[in-house]
Amino acid sequence: MRRTDILNEPVKHIRVKDRLTVDELVQQYANSGSFGAGRLSAACDIYERMLRDGECTVLLGLAGALVPAGIRSLVADSLREDRIDVLVTTGANMVHDAIEALGGHHYKGHWAADDFVLYKYHTYRIYDVFVPEEDFIKLDLKLTEMYDQIADEYRGRSLSSREFAWELGKRLNDPDSILRAAYEAQTPVFMPAVRDSEFGYIYNLHASRRNFKDALVLDAFKDVPEIIRICRESERNGMIILGGGVPRNTIQSAALATKSGIDYAVVVTMDRAETGGLSGSTLEETVSWGKLKGASDKVMVPADAMIAFPLMVASVVERLGKNFKRTPRRITESFRETVKK
Amino acid sequence: MKKTRVADSEKFCGNCTSHNAYEYPVQVFCTRRFLKNKNAIVQTLWHCEDWIQNAQDCHCVKDSKEQQK
Repeated sequence: MRRTDILNEPVKHIRVKDRLTVDELVQQYANSGSFGAGRLSAACDIYERMLRDGECTVLLGLAGALVPAGIRSLVADSLREDRIDVLVTTGANMVHDAIEALGGHHYKGHWAADDFVLYKYHTYRIYDVFVPEEDFIKLDLKLTEMYDQIADEYRGRSLSSREFAWELGKRLNDPDSILRAAYEAQTPVFMPAVRDSEFGYIYNLHASRRNFKDALVLDAFKDVPEIIRICRESERNGMIILGGGVPRNTIQSAALATKSGIDYAVVVTMDRAETGGLSGSTLEETVSWGKLKGASDKVMVPADAMIAFPLMVASVVERLGKNFKRTPRRITESFRETVKK
Repeated sequence: MKKTRVADSEKFCGNCTSHNAYEYPVQVFCTRRFLKNKNAIVQTLWHCEDWIQNAQDCHCVKDSKEQQK
């Protein structure tokens, strides 16, 4: 290596003249190539390559309270417009999706609110988002009815979290709902930690009223062969991780089980690697497990996903243009066979 | 900290431990009644024989009384 190999690309300074489109701004970030701006532009490049790769399955991992914060319609549209093939999410995000599907709302609040005052007004806080308790209660009541219906239909046969999400999506009529959009787009939604959310407590209401007889049965292991099969039968796999947690591990472990690893990876997180937690673990660490190919196209973006992901989608949609038509993985026979009802 | 005993006239669903907000402040949801397959959506200012004092006060009773004025 020579010195000129190291010093071969000068930083270009960001210019904002007149009006910029989102992708024009992201291109300015690419010209800088530095810090978070450089990483965000790299993330857009990788997401674009995933979507242009006709043999790549795109898996989105969703953790953290992104749906209450306002990412719901963006994810639902991305499912409908074939920019996501598989969604792996916390149960909580789909709980908040269902709250809005049933007429509830999330409200702009403040992170410095007096929480004991909120408590006295039956109002829950998620950083600077407020949720009225009654919206959870109305969800509990409606979903208890849905659980009753599903349990009566399945008659003791267990559901995977993917089948459970499908059944909920079938019963929610809100076109802006992620679960509804996934149901209509035939996109699988896995909720590996489903019981660690209001869905778990609704189960308790539903099952208690039946004395735990003929109650809904969810099988946590049933998802495992399904998601492994999706990854195995895909020529290439790409993951976009917002946050990390159980969804990130679920996707990475499925890729590990295929023995081939992930080909494209974008992780947007504010977490740090030093604690040993998965959400902040570097993609190099992921390579050591064989979950990510050594030669993969990858970047970790240290950013608030609420800022980064909408920019990524807007930039990539602009690049692809209106006439771009992606072939979604769901139309392939093996994919349909895997996720068939 | 010991709670002050509530007089019978001040026993309401809205200060019972089993309540959650339903149509704030006038109606609450009662978990106990729900689990017994009874009508679980009740008036904030009602109460039944299963009333148990809530550990922490909320504004349900105060706001429901104000709304009734």
